[in-house]
Amino acid sequence: MIRKAKTKTSSGTSAKVTVARMRRERLIHGTMDGYYLKNQAKSIVGNILFYSLVVGLSFAILYPLIRVLPVVFSEFRYLNDPDVIWVPIQFSMLSFRAAIRVGFGNFTNMGLTLVYAAVIAIVQIVISAMAGYSLGRVKFPGQTMVMIFVFMVIIVPPPALLIPQFLRFAQFEVLGIVGLFNNGQPLNLLNNQATLFILSFTGFGVKQAIFIFIFRQFFKGLPLELEEAALIDGCGFYKTFVRIAFPMAVPAIVTVFALAFVWNYGDTYLTGYFHPDGPYLANSLDLLFQYQNMEHLNNFIVRIYNLPFSTSFMFDAIKHAAALVYLAPLLLMYFISQRRIVENFERAGIVG
Amino acid sequence: MTKSKSSGGFKFRRPGFQTSRKINAYVLLIPFLAGFFLFFAVPIYNLIVFSLSRVEVAEEGGMMLTFVGFENFVDLFMVEVSTANQQFLRVFADENMRIFMNAPIMVIFSLFAALLVNVKFRGRGFVRVIFFLPIVTGLPIVQSLLTVTTGADIMDASIADTFITTTIMSFLISYTFLPIALISFIATVAGEIFFLISNVGVQTLIFLAGLQSINPSLYEVAKIEGANEYETFWKITLPMLTNVIVFVIVYSFVDLFLDSPLANEVYAYGFLRNNIGMGASLSLIYMINVVLGLLVLLYAFRKVAGKHDS
Repeated sequence: MIRKAKTKTSSGTSAKVTVARMRRERLIHGTMDGYYLKNQAKSIVGNILFYSLVVGLSFAILYPLIRVLPVVFSEFRYLNDPDVIWVPIQFSMLSFRAAIRVGFGNFTNMGLTLVYAAVIAIVQIVISAMAGYSLGRVKFPGQTMVMIFVFMVIIVPPPALLIPQFLRFAQFEVLGIVGLFNNGQPLNLLNNQATLFILSFTGFGVKQAIFIFIFRQFFKGLPLELEEAALIDGCGFYKTFVRIAFPMAVPAIVTVFALAFVWNYGDTYLTGYFHPDGPYLANSLDLLFQYQNMEHLNNFIVRIYNLPFSTSFMFDAIKHAAALVYLAPLLLMYFISQRRIVENFERAGIVG
Repeated sequence: MTKSKSSGGFKFRRPGFQTSRKINAYVLLIPFLAGFFLFFAVPIYNLIVFSLSRVEVAEEGGMMLTFVGFENFVDLFMVEVSTANQQFLRVFADENMRIFMNAPIMVIFSLFAALLVNVKFRGRGFVRVIFFLPIVTGLPIVQSLLTVTTGADIMDASIADTFITTTIMSFLISYTFLPIALISFIATVAGEIFFLISNVGVQTLIFLAGLQSINPSLYEVAKIEGANEYETFWKITLPMLTNVIVFVIVYSFVDLFLDSPLANEVYAYGFLRNNIGMGASLSLIYMINVVLGLLVLLYAFRKVAGKHDS
């Protein structure tokens, strides 16, 4: 009777509790009976399966990065050797030097892109938090309508609106205001960094509608008492937002900043179409490592480094090295702040 | 606005608390609403106008629109070909096939990954770092820089894709009695595993946040009532995640459509071939396709979820 009750409760508990129970049971029954052995076997097999799954998936995630390591660290002339799979015959940093030479220069582009991504991310946070706050905390007529607008912006892919947006920026004019400062002529904002800032100031930066949604969800989940207390203590609407609600939204802010920073750093759509001559690293690397450029780039490398011949493998090695250099600042930041970022991801309450 | 002032015998009353709160809410929304008007509502209207006309450059500069009805739409599917010399019906069919196959798999896979990192085990922090790495490494530019462009892909494909696919296929064919169509489907999915994994970082994150927001006392009650973990998953976890699943479906679907070749086609028509009318009609169809596809997917999800509830 007692045994039966125990079997029922012991199924489906975490490993730690199971181990404790097994120890207790061994004390009670003295010897290792069948029940104990069965549980032990179950937990060992379960753990093996679980860990092999976790390790396997982790490997699959890291595989694209691991795969390029033997390529980028190999001497160019051994690249097409079919015997080499994981360990390069001769170790060399030449592909990194070449990648930095053709793609990064003295790293001004990378610095500018990092600053650009951070500034745009901050703008996106402020604008999205404002919209999210009023959508999540205040009841006003037309709120559902505005929410539908937000969802529409999330759903419609930006490339579908490229043509009219492009034409609008070619002759930028808002209610005749721009004309007042420009002799009655509309302004041509194409290939101008202002365009990118205008887009993120109006909530149309990279995936910004999703950020509005995240902030809305977060603010909706905050307790009502906080605002009441602030009101009683004499805080107005904006003061409550700036002093109370915004500082409390740290999880949402961290989440949105991480995502916005990464996405803006890697953005090739907005920068490519609205400011193609800008100093954006993702865009310039994208253009540089086009397939059509292979011949040209290989010749350049051969001449610069006095190589005997060039292969298509060399182009790939340089491209992969460029990808790793490009990723380096992001990975560095991610590994330094990963614990805080992941914790905040969890608490941001993206969908409640 | 909040200050009462009187001038010329006309008295302004200070608005009440609720009214001023509503007005302030609109003030905070001004940037977004302005953007919505300028970069969304008006562009959609322009798209509709352009798609129904032939757009030419007028002699005195500017654009000249001639109304042609639905000619652009008809031509798009009957006459025009894409930059890769395919008919647009074919392009749209291919894209929809790819996306409808991948979106549900991405949702299920990210839910699975989130469940995995939500379990308490030794080394969880480390595994979480790896599981969220695709947010960084899954950027389209990084993906395109990490792909092998040239002759090397003969060698690489033998290691990465075909190798896995052929072993899986031969294994399934010799040891199971599944129909060939199903086996080839599994093999295709397995071949695309790296693409899928590199694209589910954000979805895993959303699911993890959703899992954390489920009240733990629900699980306690279920445990006391004698439910096992399998039952808890179907009766508590999934129903509590319904909204999250809807959001992840929307996100994955839109994300897959974002990096489809259709985006480049729109650009090619608008600016390389100088056929803005055709580009506009292509954009409209693209947009309608996304919205309709999403509705179908969500309807199917509702059906499945509803069936499970009853």
